[in-house]
Amino acid sequence: MKTPAATPVPTTASAAGPIRVGVAAGAPGVNMLDAIRRGEKVTGYTHKEVAGEKHVLSIHDFNLYYGKNHALHDINMHIAHGKVSAMIGPSGCGKSTLLRSINRMNDLVDGVRVAGEIRLNGSNIFDRSTDVISLRRRVGMVFQKPNPFPMSIFENVAYPLRIVGEGRRSRLEEAAEKALRSAALWDEVKDRLKGSALGLSGGQQQRLCIARSIVGEPEMLLMDEPCSALDPIATLKIEELITQIAGRYTVVIVTHNMQQASRVSDYTAFMYLGRLVEYGPTAKIFQAPALTETEQYVTGRFG
Amino acid sequence: MNPGQASISPPHSNSARRRSLGDAALLWAARGSGVLILLMLAALLFVLVRASVPAMQTFGVGFLVTTEWRPNEREVPARGPDGRVIIEDGETVMRTLPAEFGAGPVIWGTMMTSLIALVVAVPLALGAALFIVRVAPKLRIAAPLSFLIEFLASIPSIAYGMWGLFVLAPFLQSVVEPAIARALGDVPGFGWMFTQTVVLADGPTRRPLPLTGRDALCGGLILAIMILPIITAISRDVLKNVPKGQIEGTLALGATWWQSCWGMLKYSRSGLFGAVMLGLARAAGETMAVAMVIGNNNQIEFSPFAPAQTMASLLANEFREASGGLYQSSLLYVALILLVMSLAFNVVARWLVVGKGARTAAAH
Amino acid sequence: MLLAHPRVRTLLSSAMFALCAGFSVVIVAVLGLVTWFLVSRGWAAMSLDLFTKLPTEDLNNPGGLKHAILGTGQLLLMAGLVGVPMGMLAGVYLSEYSNDSRIVGPVRFTADVLTGVPSIVVGILGYELLVRPLGNFNGWAGAFALAFIMIPIVARTTEEMLRLVPDSYRAGSLALGATKSQTITRVVLPAATGSVVTGVMLAMARVAGETAPLLFTALGSRFVTFNPSEPFPSLTVQIYQYATGPYQGQKELAWAGILVLISLLFVLNLAIRAVTSRSIRSRVGT
Repeated sequence: MKTPAATPVPTTASAAGPIRVGVAAGAPGVNMLDAIRRGEKVTGYTHKEVAGEKHVLSIHDFNLYYGKNHALHDINMHIAHGKVSAMIGPSGCGKSTLLRSINRMNDLVDGVRVAGEIRLNGSNIFDRSTDVISLRRRVGMVFQKPNPFPMSIFENVAYPLRIVGEGRRSRLEEAAEKALRSAALWDEVKDRLKGSALGLSGGQQQRLCIARSIVGEPEMLLMDEPCSALDPIATLKIEELITQIAGRYTVVIVTHNMQQASRVSDYTAFMYLGRLVEYGPTAKIFQAPALTETEQYVTGRFG
Repeated sequence: MNPGQASISPPHSNSARRRSLGDAALLWAARGSGVLILLMLAALLFVLVRASVPAMQTFGVGFLVTTEWRPNEREVPARGPDGRVIIEDGETVMRTLPAEFGAGPVIWGTMMTSLIALVVAVPLALGAALFIVRVAPKLRIAAPLSFLIEFLASIPSIAYGMWGLFVLAPFLQSVVEPAIARALGDVPGFGWMFTQTVVLADGPTRRPLPLTGRDALCGGLILAIMILPIITAISRDVLKNVPKGQIEGTLALGATWWQSCWGMLKYSRSGLFGAVMLGLARAAGETMAVAMVIGNNNQIEFSPFAPAQTMASLLANEFREASGGLYQSSLLYVALILLVMSLAFNVVARWLVVGKGARTAAAH
Repeated sequence: MLLAHPRVRTLLSSAMFALCAGFSVVIVAVLGLVTWFLVSRGWAAMSLDLFTKLPTEDLNNPGGLKHAILGTGQLLLMAGLVGVPMGMLAGVYLSEYSNDSRIVGPVRFTADVLTGVPSIVVGILGYELLVRPLGNFNGWAGAFALAFIMIPIVARTTEEMLRLVPDSYRAGSLALGATKSQTITRVVLPAATGSVVTGVMLAMARVAGETAPLLFTALGSRFVTFNPSEPFPSLTVQIYQYATGPYQGQKELAWAGILVLISLLFVLNLAIRAVTSRSIRSRVGT
């Protein structure tokens, strides 16, 4: 069977680098997902609206290997500034792996190899001269399971400032209040800032983790399925929070909940087996996707 | 790179430099203490070997089996080639034997007391461990029972020594040993238990053994009490790790309680053997309690009612008074043997316990 | 075969069950026997003089054990000042830097093995290293021997306790841009504080009851001293000397001293239990 030929792809150059826009799957009747499963090289479909945005993060031909396992294949993506971008796809599609590459948390895993570039505001984060510690300050992360430290609520939020040497009580208190307000948690905890963070409910703990990750004014916020360990009411609160802080922060959120993605995000990327399949405005992805494969996924016909 | 855009901090900013300094400092301090641990073992071996060299050169490996331990010189009648005593001018000619050292008696003493300790402690410990793992949870007494047994371990050695010296030894002397003597003394084949070898001027002879209660038996019993907690605790942990499926499997086939226990024991036999070895290592190295009740007699006797000496008690009793290079060096040679023996037991025991039972925990 | 008969099997099982229960009772009974004797005998000999008086020349009215108690306190302090930090650092190395080098495995194994070295051998090491060169028995050698025993214990317990700290804390701290050392000192160690302290107390308890390593290092003394360069008194050695001596008055003091010793260790063990459950509880978040 012939490999679907890639039609000549018109490129739009922008300050952030060339993006490929155009149809990829090729001949009608050929299922891209089958091609992926067969291990063939494919190019994901990126809607043209993505190119129009100012970009904070550019991912170029990014590949990641866990030992012999080729986990991410030729990812090309641009994350829009000040918008919420969601990554969806079935389990094992690589969305969390890609997310964790952005703040180089994958460095902590044995046997990980990468190829390609991820540029944060123009600088390749995998450059030898990159200070990973600094990178992680500029790119915040919220984990699936809330992980507040076994300290007081105040100390949790103050932690990112303390580790860069900020010791002035007034500065810490000011920044903590601001972050807790942004995380919609201030009113609930303002009278018990000295209490243990572990005494909060799950949803409150996650909002605390969000506050902790934005107190250092990061350029981007990564969220790895932040609501999957929470009840529906707490989930709703966090979704409201995300829409509130968007604009001020660039948010990339990984979620397995498609309704959530359609509610909170401006752009959505559909991934499958380590490849980017389709990426574009959320409304289009869910209502008028370019690829039938995407339509099948978002309407729940597989995965 | 976009002009005017915040970039990722280059690594040579002030706070970054301070932070990497802190990182390096902790790393090297941590590495250093790891190396320190290795050096500690090396130092032990090196120092003991170096100090034993004179004794090793004089006695060689035969030291381990030589049975004479005599720090003082001794005068014995000189004997001619025909074996008869030489007499000159009506007086027996005497020969001065130099001090002689051999570790045979203390190695024997260590083995005998450790053996007695194991024979007493292992069944008790295994039985209690089985009880704690299989029965006690249902009665909710597993935790208190474990706590009580571990409390035995927190009693210091001299406390056991004093109890042994002032309670157990007199008890053995006045009640237990005479009773055994009455029961077995005239039974043929047991005579050796109640006599000892005494060296007189014209050679060794057998004499009745005075039962003082301060003997290998007392030492062994005290050791048994002292190693009970460690064998019980480790056996309990090993038995707890037997998969429930194993136990339920045997019960489903109609096995009795004891048969399923026996299955558990067989399943974890290497871990249990390791527990026993750890107990043995502890027994061999135990000093104070043994030194106070063992009778301090540096001779090989087969009777448990005879006073004896272990390597540890020998060191405790004689090290300070040891004068002269060869005496001290021989004691250090004994210390080296004790060290190597306990290291060997420990290594084998840990390989058995960790290897077969908790390898997943160790590898985490 | 006899065992083919089901009745026999059941009988055997019941008998073994009774035996196992019996053995447990025997162990507890022995414990009770020994403890009761030591406590009652010690209590009979106890008086306030024990803590306030110094040894007298009168061998039948030997005064008190104040010198020995002070001596043990100082020895523990000196040993702890060196042994605890070194041991904790080694524990941090084994837990947090376990991928650092191929020596990590051997270090861990060696630490385990070192905990089984007979304490009298450690005393001999102290003699060779610190008594011989200095020319006389001294407190430094005693503290050295005790620290030598402490370090592997503290290292292994610290490692075990640090391993129990969930990885999510480490990941969270690193994701916030903390360095590894900041993560260890600000998040991981504080999270494990209770249990690390437990390990330290365990080591202290073990070392407080040791006699053999002090016999040829600190030797013992009948005077209060704060100078570690001379022979140094300790509770354990003093008890041993009095107990094995010929004077009844001294033996009485020895009994009282034993009571002090086992009371101290009992309290330490209780505290250890209390702290352990509390720290486990705090880690789970209740």
